[in-house]
Amino acid sequence: MPTVSDLIQLGSRNDRPKRPEPADLQLKFSDKAVAQLDSLRGHYPEEKACVLPGLWIAQREYDGTLSPEAIAEVAHRLNRSFAEVEGVATFYSMYNTGHAPGKHVIEVCTCLSCHMCGAYRVADSLKEKLGIEFGETTEDGLFTLHEVECLNACDRAPLIQVGDEYIGPVTEADVDKLLTDLKSRPERSSVQISDEIVKVHLQADEA
Amino acid sequence: MAEHKLLLKHADDKAYATLQGYQAKGGYEGLKKAMAMSREEVIGEVKTSGLRGRGGAGFPTWIKWSGIPKEKTDMHVLICNADEGEPGTFKDKQLMEDTPFLVVEGMTIAAHACQADVGYIYIRGEFVDAARSLRKAIDEAYAANLLGKNIQGSGLDFDLHIHMGAGAYECGEESALMSSLMGERGMPRLKFPHAPFPTVSGIWEKPTIINNVESYAAAVPILQDGGEAYAKLGASTQRSTGTKLFSVSGHVNKPGNYEIEFGTSLMELLDLAGGIKGGKLKACVPGGSSVPIINADSCEKAIIGYEEMGDVGSMVGSGAAMFLNEHSCIVSFIWRTAQFYAHESCGKCTPCREGTKWMLKILERIMKGGGEAGDMELLMQITEQIDGRSFCGLGDAAAWPVAAALKVFPEEFEYFIKNGRSMVDSEEARALAPKWAQAVSV
Ligand SMILES: Cc1cc2nc3c(=O)[nH]c(=O)nc-3n(C[C@H](O)[C@H](O)[C@H](O)COP(=O)(O)O)c2cc1C
Ligand code: SF4
Ligand code: FES
Repeated sequence: MPTVSDLIQLGSRNDRPKRPEPADLQLKFSDKAVAQLDSLRGHYPEEKACVLPGLWIAQREYDGTLSPEAIAEVAHRLNRSFAEVEGVATFYSMYNTGHAPGKHVIEVCTCLSCHMCGAYRVADSLKEKLGIEFGETTEDGLFTLHEVECLNACDRAPLIQVGDEYIGPVTEADVDKLLTDLKSRPERSSVQISDEIVKVHLQADEA
Repeated sequence: MAEHKLLLKHADDKAYATLQGYQAKGGYEGLKKAMAMSREEVIGEVKTSGLRGRGGAGFPTWIKWSGIPKEKTDMHVLICNADEGEPGTFKDKQLMEDTPFLVVEGMTIAAHACQADVGYIYIRGEFVDAARSLRKAIDEAYAANLLGKNIQGSGLDFDLHIHMGAGAYECGEESALMSSLMGERGMPRLKFPHAPFPTVSGIWEKPTIINNVESYAAAVPILQDGGEAYAKLGASTQRSTGTKLFSVSGHVNKPGNYEIEFGTSLMELLDLAGGIKGGKLKACVPGGSSVPIINADSCEKAIIGYEEMGDVGSMVGSGAAMFLNEHSCIVSFIWRTAQFYAHESCGKCTPCREGTKWMLKILERIMKGGGEAGDMELLMQITEQIDGRSFCGLGDAAAWPVAAALKVFPEEFEYFIKNGRSMVDSEEARALAPKWAQAVSV
């Protein structure tokens, strides 16, 4: 397993950052993922534009987390340096770069309309039932709780998102049932949404 | 005035999201007419219509479109800004989900007018439902030769792709969106006069048009029924024509999207949304979180129009009215607004990166009961240092709501700072505050 410092290749001052090479990597993309990335290349005049969709593919292939290895594989496949792709990945809140999220990621909107319609009551109830704060994962690895900004479906405030699904309006009274329902879901929410997002990029004959 | 539906007319009809259902309701008539015209004539029609950009700034669409070089020497790119992230707004979401062909047809009309070869719909990552609906529409349009090579034998080649964002409000800013679409961090780029207009050199240094979802959709009725018919709507206003979608949320009985003719009053919009819920009307943020908040008196006077809204000190913005009832604590509302901007600031320029955090810190201190004398002046000073001194519009947008609230509701801030708790003291108000602030609010 390469270390992060291997991946960022601290070289001489005149070296342009290079893409990570397979010797440092264990490439994990499935054939399907490689084919999808190839189709995406045809959508843009520059390969670099595939970085965001490439990261979505990687987030799916690497079980919902953009680990340094996952980022390195995207960098390798798109001929970018590790540092560049890492810089992009860490900018966006929907890429899980910091830590591996729990199986079910619950994102509570506490932004303006949701706040005014009682989002903090829902959030507090979730925190209490799960015994965690925003940004934390339960010990059993089942749930991660996040506070998010407006999900832009404020007509359904207070709103929460799990995977690609918007659920709302929710009240404190719905919390128990919600958690039970989520437990029965087989898929990891971060993998599920990444896969759906990859799919909408692809035309009927590409998927 | 009732609703006036041009775009949402068939939004309840599930079949309208399919090509067959769309064409049964007159879909693609607009494109047909556009194809029979020269590109200048299409832009002329949009000029006659008076259409102004629906993404927030209200820039005349025809001026943007005519900025594209007449002589085509390079690839032209069309971008649809579907990054809808302005708190309170959910109109683009509905247009994409329920009327995806309006977006696709509108973009194809624009492609003809701007000689575009390829289009990208940049959708925020969370909007998977909207993206799925558009995906289906695009696939159907390709299969029917309404996209792709030589569309309907017209000689127009136009490819349309979906590109998903990954969670960053700043990517709604057009130059940041282009950075993001090129595979970079979503940070804005230099603008005119320090750089050429995007219509001359935009994404990948190619002539680029970027418009909001609703702006493209509006091109369909404009081409279908003529710019003149569109311009007749909104005649009572100074310079706003046609219809506008408004997302209504907050303390109303029937939150949702309402399509109204410009010139409708804000109170009529509130009535359409079933009126205020849970108490008397106290305030409204009429155009998304970035625009100044107004009190109930101003709500009574407000007419929806780009210039008219200015008369009450606010803006049409992205078209998102959040109504607040009497149990709403303005300090709490503004504190949460400040948190949004502090979180979404991209960090490129100092006034916004630091200023948004300072504002949040001070408001948090007030919310915790530790407000200090002079905090209001300090907040006002910070807003002045951000406004007009930031690299992109996000900084200004972060400053305006705070400055406006300090001016319109100074007594609430004074009270909170002096007494360490909210002036709005009711069961309802207390229940809305986050726990850490509740401790002092009771
Ligand atoms: C911080 C910021 C966020 C923005 N977000 C959006 C957005 O989500 N959707 C949008 O259409 N325009 C947004 N805009 C406005 C765009 O920069 C741009 O003006 C608009 O897409 C132009 O399209 P229009 O002329 O059709 O309105 C935003 C601007 C700023 C400064
Ligand atoms: S104002 Fe500056 S820091 Fe704020 S979002 Fe724009 S460029 Fe980034
Ligand atoms: S404020 Fe929660 S969805 Fe808009």
